[in-house]
Amino acid sequence: MTQEVEMKEAQVPSHSVSSFSTPSTLQHLKDIAALIETGAYAKEVRRIVKSVRLTIMLRRKLKASILSAFLSFALSPGSEAHSKLFSYLPKEDEHDMDVDTASSAAQGSVKHLLPEIEIFCYLLVLIFLIDQKRYDEAKTCSSNSIARLKNINRRTVDVLSSRLYFYYSYSHELTNSLAEIRGNLLALHRMATLRHDELGQETLLNLLLRNYLYYNLYDQAEKLRSKAPRFEAHSNQQFCRYLFYLGKIRTIQLEYTDAKESLLQAARKAPIAARGFRIQCNKWAIIVRLLLGEIPERTVFMQKGMKKALSPYFELTNAVRIGDLELFKTVAEKFSSTFSSDRTNNLIVRLRHNVIRTGLRNISISYSRISLSDVAKKLRLDSENPVADAESIVAKAIRDGAIDATIDHANGWMLSKETGDIYSTNEPQIAFHSRIAFCLNMHNDAVKALRFPPNSHKEKEGAEKRRERQQQEQELAKHIAEEEDDDF
Amino acid sequence: MDPQLVEVTQIFARLKAALLRNDFGTCNNLLSQLKVLLTKYPSLPPTFQQTPTAVEELQIARDIYEHAVLLSVKTEDQDAFERDFFQLKPFYTDTCGLIPPSPQECPILGLNLLRLLVQNRIAEFHTELELLPPNALENPCIKHAVELEQSFMEGAYNRVLSARKTVPHETYVHFMDLLAKTVRDEIAGCSEKAYDSLSVADAKKILMFSSDQELSTYIEEDHPEWEIKNGFVFFQKAKESQPCKEIPSLQLINQTLSYARELERIV
Repeated sequence: MTQEVEMKEAQVPSHSVSSFSTPSTLQHLKDIAALIETGAYAKEVRRIVKSVRLTIMLRRKLKASILSAFLSFALSPGSEAHSKLFSYLPKEDEHDMDVDTASSAAQGSVKHLLPEIEIFCYLLVLIFLIDQKRYDEAKTCSSNSIARLKNINRRTVDVLSSRLYFYYSYSHELTNSLAEIRGNLLALHRMATLRHDELGQETLLNLLLRNYLYYNLYDQAEKLRSKAPRFEAHSNQQFCRYLFYLGKIRTIQLEYTDAKESLLQAARKAPIAARGFRIQCNKWAIIVRLLLGEIPERTVFMQKGMKKALSPYFELTNAVRIGDLELFKTVAEKFSSTFSSDRTNNLIVRLRHNVIRTGLRNISISYSRISLSDVAKKLRLDSENPVADAESIVAKAIRDGAIDATIDHANGWMLSKETGDIYSTNEPQIAFHSRIAFCLNMHNDAVKALRFPPNSHKEKEGAEKRRERQQQEQELAKHIAEEEDDDF
Repeated sequence: MDPQLVEVTQIFARLKAALLRNDFGTCNNLLSQLKVLLTKYPSLPPTFQQTPTAVEELQIARDIYEHAVLLSVKTEDQDAFERDFFQLKPFYTDTCGLIPPSPQECPILGLNLLRLLVQNRIAEFHTELELLPPNALENPCIKHAVELEQSFMEGAYNRVLSARKTVPHETYVHFMDLLAKTVRDEIAGCSEKAYDSLSVADAKKILMFSSDQELSTYIEEDHPEWEIKNGFVFFQKAKESQPCKEIPSLQLINQTLSYARELERIV
């Protein structure tokens, strides 16, 4: 499950890499800080989103020396944040420090500190600590930053704070203490809701769901999910995660059709680079589809980079497809360690009856009439009274609509019904309609998802209007002049 | 020892004695007294305050709720079972580090699984199952419930009923009786779809009735649409979906118009 973290990095736009390749990392950070500042003053959240993306790109290049130089550039030396954050960084050699503090002292005194920049510094240090695997320090650092965040109520901080929430939870997950912060996360979620911080709500809801699911608390997770306010997704990554958690909850609660939809959507929406996340989604989706009685296509297992991870599930699918209980048992035993580390063991236990169903369906298709004792033999039901077992199993399969047949109890037969001509019903029309509706919806969603920079449209209109106004004024002037002429 | 705790211990001892005598009236009285007394301890869920006597209090409270659950099984009161079980659950999930696990834990968790099965609440059954650690699944009490659910889902009802003989704990018998009723309803539902008709003797055997009288009262009460004629039970099948004769014109017009509207928006 930890692979999910990779997802955030995936969104980095590739074209901006080239423009930033020449100057030093410190210069990058300063540029980003400048970007955040303009964003904060102009109240343009878009710029801050961009700055977060750029930061994640720099992640691998972060070093203690660069970081401390940047901190002394951005934060005024006496401030609380400055002293706190510096305590996490190793001491540097004098020379480096001197140069930077000297330059920052001049700037720090002029510039008044923006909360955005302060939070950004926290974020940088936190990322650095996690990358250095200093998880306990990361934990305290994140707790400090959260405490600081509670006092800042600015919409331009939201983007940065949602990243902080994420690392807050992540650092606790790495130290295996997720249960401790559940109350805190709930409080933060409440706070975000009150402040109409939708991105924060989205992030925190996902973190809470992850927190619950980490301990298999599906009941609580579902209760929270169904009651938390929902709105249109702000961030694709968060939406993917939400769909994944939703799919898991629904799978556990046996709502397979909905679960399948969520899981497949999550797998499709996830960025290509988030391989771990997509593998997880696919694993769950495969099981759900098997539970629904569908057999996933071979291409699902052959996706690039997933072949190895999905191979246990491929063999499982094969066993279900053939409807062979023995084979199913051996596969389940062979890969039991994989399945238990994926926490899908209980679901695989559920699959047993699907294996029987598939076997039964194969029998019902191949024979128009078969004795129940033969059915029992073919399904390899080993019990004291296989015929009676077979009879009740067939009866249940008929009721659940898995096979279309009747039982002749007196003779001990199962009679398959002729399959009717599906094209004589309304079925094809309904299927056709649902496909058209899907395409049209997709188009509408795509149109809605188009994004324009918020101000450019207004400016353009302003220019047009000005031209129009000037034209009108000119005409008016001409008019007056003409009137004047007439007077004479 | 604090005098209040002494009182609780005394009442609890009387409760245990009454439970052994199967004196359910007294049990219920004592239990409600105990529950009121338990509300006064801050060390119990949901506050879990660290008090010097927390360990003793938690242990006795857990014991009391365990007995409450067993009592509700004996009185076959499923609602009370649910309530008591939820009161007991925090002791199992949240006190791991504080007090040693109870020997009753697995039987009671298994009982709860069985109750959910009896009430046909399969989704909740699986939600509870997810909460159990992998090694708990090996426990005979829980394994019993899990295997029952599997047979139940497969439709191997005979196996469900024969499992009554292999109950791992004497309290399970109560629920197994209730399960028989659930199973009968399931079988009735399946037979309705699977057979056109059954002879009365066969129907009796399949639905596990000992006399024709029981069968006919069951049909009258639960399935009035079935018919008994000439020693056969006829099931009224729901009409199969017929091939359509008419063209659903209005629906088609609506759909086509909406396509036109959407296309116009695109072009």
